[in-house]
Amino acid sequence: MHIVASGKGLHNESVDIACGIVSNKQIGGMAMRGRIGKRQYSKAIMLLLAAIMVLSACSGNNGGNEENAPASQSATATSEGSTEGSGESAGSEPSAEPMGKYDPPIEVTTVRNLSDVVENNVLGVLQGETLEDNRWSRLYEEQLGIKIKYDWVVKGNPTSDQYLQKLNVTLASGELPDFLPVSPIQLKQLAESDQLEDMTELYEKYATPLTKDILSQEGSGPFDAATLDGRLMAIPQVEPSIERSMFIWIRTDWLEKLGLQPPKTMADVLAISKAFAENDPDGNSKKDTFGLGMTKDVWGGANGLEGFMAGFKAYPNIWVEDAEGKLVYGSIQPEVKKALQALQDMMKGGQLDKEFGIKEGGKVAEDITAGKIGMEYGEQWNSIWPLQLNKNNDPNAQWRAFPLVSENGDLTKVPQKFSTTKFFAVRKGAKHPEAVIKLFNMHLEKNWGETAEFDTYYAPKEAESVWQLSPIQPAPPKKNVTAFREIDAARKAGDMSVLKGEAKTIQEKIELYNSGSEEGFAVWGWERIYGPEGSMGITDQYDKNNQFLIDKFVGAPTPTMVERKSTLEKMQNEVFIKIILGEPIEAFDKFADDWKKLGGEQMTQEVNEWYATTK
Amino acid sequence: MRIKKAWRELPLHLMIIPGLLFVGIFSYVPMAGISIAFQRFIPARGLFGDQKWVGWDNFDYVMELPSFMQVLWNTLYISSFKLVLGLLVPIVFAILLNELKREWIKRSVQTTVYLPFFLSWVVLGGIMIDLLSPSSGIVNGLLKSFGLEPIFFLGDNKWFPVTLIGSDVWKNFGYGTIVFMAAVTGIDPGLYEAATIDGANRWKKAWHITLPGMRMVIVLLSVLSLGQLLNAGFDQVFNLYSPQVYESGDILDTFVYRIGLLDAQYGVATAVGLFKSIVSFVLIAGSYFFAYRFAKYRIF
Repeated sequence: MHIVASGKGLHNESVDIACGIVSNKQIGGMAMRGRIGKRQYSKAIMLLLAAIMVLSACSGNNGGNEENAPASQSATATSEGSTEGSGESAGSEPSAEPMGKYDPPIEVTTVRNLSDVVENNVLGVLQGETLEDNRWSRLYEEQLGIKIKYDWVVKGNPTSDQYLQKLNVTLASGELPDFLPVSPIQLKQLAESDQLEDMTELYEKYATPLTKDILSQEGSGPFDAATLDGRLMAIPQVEPSIERSMFIWIRTDWLEKLGLQPPKTMADVLAISKAFAENDPDGNSKKDTFGLGMTKDVWGGANGLEGFMAGFKAYPNIWVEDAEGKLVYGSIQPEVKKALQALQDMMKGGQLDKEFGIKEGGKVAEDITAGKIGMEYGEQWNSIWPLQLNKNNDPNAQWRAFPLVSENGDLTKVPQKFSTTKFFAVRKGAKHPEAVIKLFNMHLEKNWGETAEFDTYYAPKEAESVWQLSPIQPAPPKKNVTAFREIDAARKAGDMSVLKGEAKTIQEKIELYNSGSEEGFAVWGWERIYGPEGSMGITDQYDKNNQFLIDKFVGAPTPTMVERKSTLEKMQNEVFIKIILGEPIEAFDKFADDWKKLGGEQMTQEVNEWYATTK
Repeated sequence: MRIKKAWRELPLHLMIIPGLLFVGIFSYVPMAGISIAFQRFIPARGLFGDQKWVGWDNFDYVMELPSFMQVLWNTLYISSFKLVLGLLVPIVFAILLNELKREWIKRSVQTTVYLPFFLSWVVLGGIMIDLLSPSSGIVNGLLKSFGLEPIFFLGDNKWFPVTLIGSDVWKNFGYGTIVFMAAVTGIDPGLYEAATIDGANRWKKAWHITLPGMRMVIVLLSVLSLGQLLNAGFDQVFNLYSPQVYESGDILDTFVYRIGLLDAQYGVATAVGLFKSIVSFVLIAGSYFFAYRFAKYRIF
C-alpha cells in the first residue's frame, strides 16, 4: 500500500504546501490592507480574488484527482493506440516456426509486479542479474529474438492494492503494452471494447504440441473462460487447482511438548488452538502465543481460512451445487455462520491475534518466524515460505502438514477455487501478436520439454524461484503431484536412479537435507513437501480419495460479476473480520441479505443460466 | 483619467490570467467527466465513446450500499472536528504565544510547531503505525507503565477517529498559528498602550483587543474551510486505515478510491464524487451567506 501511496501522497503534499504558502501571504496581506483603509480598496479586492483563485484551484485539483485522471487520459490514449495499430511497419518477418527466431530481434512490451520472493530470494541472491537482464530474458533474446521491455514494474503481489490500481489505470488509459496479464473480468472488458487481438488461429499455428498438451491438462475450463463469442481472446496461464489444496500446518514440536495428538476432528483443532494459546508452548512463561495464524486478507495460500471453514462444510468464495442441483454461492450459506462463530469464540478466548485485521501476510510471517504461531491453514508450499523462516530462527521448530478434518471425523471435502486467473492478452495492432505464444512455448520447453534445463531455469538451489523472472510462467497442472509420485515410487523401490528432470532435482534436495549439512538445513522446506511425511503425499491421498470439491462456475465472468464481484468480495471480508472480532453473529444474516440485494441475486441467476447450458 | 487608471492596473489584470487558465483547465474542463456518473462506464471506449447510459442507477446502487451512510457520517464527523479544533487550537496558541516576552522563545516555538506541517502523511503514517502499536509501540508502553490497558489506536473503532483528528490537528496547527500570529502583529500597539493606561490586565487585553483584531482572519478562514467539510483528508486516512476500521474511519474520498481504482466501477465512483461536490457547493454557498449575515464579511 505504501509505495503507490507515497507517490500520490508526496504529490498532493507539494501542491498543498505551494497553496499554503501563497494563501498565507495573501491572507497576511489582506489583514494589513484591512487596517490601511479604503484608499486601496480595489487593490485589496484584486489580491483577494487572486487568493480565492489559488485556493479554489488547489481544492478543486485535490478533490477531482481520482475521478478525472483516468477519464481524461483515455481520450488521448485511444486515439494514439489506433494510429499505432494501423502502422504495420516492416520489421522482422514473423517467423512461422513455433520456436523460430526473429532476425533482427524484435522488442515487445509488457507490465509486471515484482513480488517479495523475486526481489529478495531471487534477484537478491543472483549476482549480475536484474529484472530486465537475467537468464530468462537472455534466453528469450538469444533463442527467439524477442526482447522484453517492461512499461512499468510495481512492487507487491498481483493481488496487492498498488498493482491493481496501476493495472486498472493502464487499462483505463488505453495505452496497453503489447501483451499483458489480465483477470477474466478485465479480459472481458477489453475484448468487449475491441482492444484485443484474436488469438484463435495464432494459437493453433504457433503453439507447440507440448504447449497445447500442457495447457489442456486442466480441462477445457481455462480456455472456456478466455473464449468470448467463440473466439480465443487470450492465452490462459493454466494454474493447477490441485496444487492449491489446503492443509493444516502444525508445529509438531509444540504438539509433543504439550502431549497432544494430531487432529482427527474439528474439536481437536480447537483444542490444539486453545492449548497453543494458553499452555505456553514456547516455554517462556508468558502468554504470547496464538492458536491460529490469520491475515487481514482472510483467505489465501498461507494463513487462509478456506481449510478451517471446510471443516464445518462451509465453502466460501466458490459456487457449489445445492440439493436441487442449482448453483449457490458458498459464502452466504449457513455453514459459514457456524465457522465464523467458532472463530469468534477463539478470539474471545484470546487464542487469535486481535491485530490480525491490519496484518498482511508478511507481518503474520514475522509472527510465525518469531515463534508466536503454531498452527495455520495453508497450501503445500508453506514450508518453504513462511515456515522455513521459523525453522531458520529456531532450529528446534518442526512443522508438518496434516489433512483437513471435519466435525465428525469423516473425510473432508477440499474446496478448490477455479485457479486460472491470469490470461495473457495481446493488444490489438501489436506488431507481433504471436510473440507471446512463442514465450509460452519456450518457457515450457526449457522446463519440461526435451531440452529442459530445470536446474538453470526453474529452481536452481541458490534461487528456488528463478522461474518467476520470466514474465510468463505456465507449468504443467499436476507437475508437483507427478513429481511426488515418481519420487515416492522410487523411494519404495529403493532405486533413485530412475528419476529425471524436476523429480530428480527435488530428490537431490531431500538428500541434501538428509545429509544434515548446513546447506541441507536451508532446503528443509522441500523435505516437508516431498519427503515421506510431506504435504504432497496428502495431496496424493486427497486425489485418490476423490475429496476435491471444485468450483462449479468456470465460465467467463457474467455481466454482474464484471461490475459488482470485487465490491461484494470486499464487503464480505469486512463483515467476516468484524464478526470474528466480536460483532454479533447476526451480522452474517444481514450480510447475506445485502449480498443478494447488491447484485448477488442477479449473479446467481446468471451463473445458473450458464450452468444450464453446460448440462 | 479612467484610461490612465486602467492602463496602470493592466499588469494586475494580466496577473489573473494564469490563475484563470489553471482553474479552467483543471477545474472546469474535467467537469465533462460528470457524465460518467450516469453511465455504465467502460474506460476503453473513451469519455465520449459508445457508453451505456443508465440514468440514476449508479446513485441508487450507492444508496443501497450498506456502508455509504456510515461513510458519509464518518466524513462529516471527522471533518467537522478537524475544522473546529483546527481553528480553535491555533487561535488559542497564537494568543498565548503572543504574550511571551522573549522573542527567541517565541520564534523557536513557532518554528518547532510548524515543522510537522512539512512532513507527508506517507512518512507520518509509517511512524504512527510503529508509535501507536499496542504490542510494541512507545505510546502504549507508556500507558502500560502507568498500569493502564494498552489502546489499539489504529484498530479500535472507538479510538480511530480520535487518532485521526488528534494527529491532524497536531500536524497542522503550526501553520494556523503562523497565520494568526501575522494577524496579531497587525494590531495597532497603541490600542494595547491605551488599555494598559485604562488598567486592563492581560486577559482583558487578549479578550477585548487581540481577539477582535483577529476577527477578520478568523471569519475568512472559517468560511473558506467550510467548503472543505466533505474533505476529511484522503492522504491521512488512506495511510492509516485498514478494513478493520472502515466502520469508523472510511471517508468519501477513500471510498471513491476503492470503488473507482481498485474495483474499477468508474460510474459508481463518479456518482459518489458528484454527490460530494454538490453537497460541498451547498455548504460553501451557505457559509458565505452566514459570513455576510453575521460578520458583515463579503468576498465579492
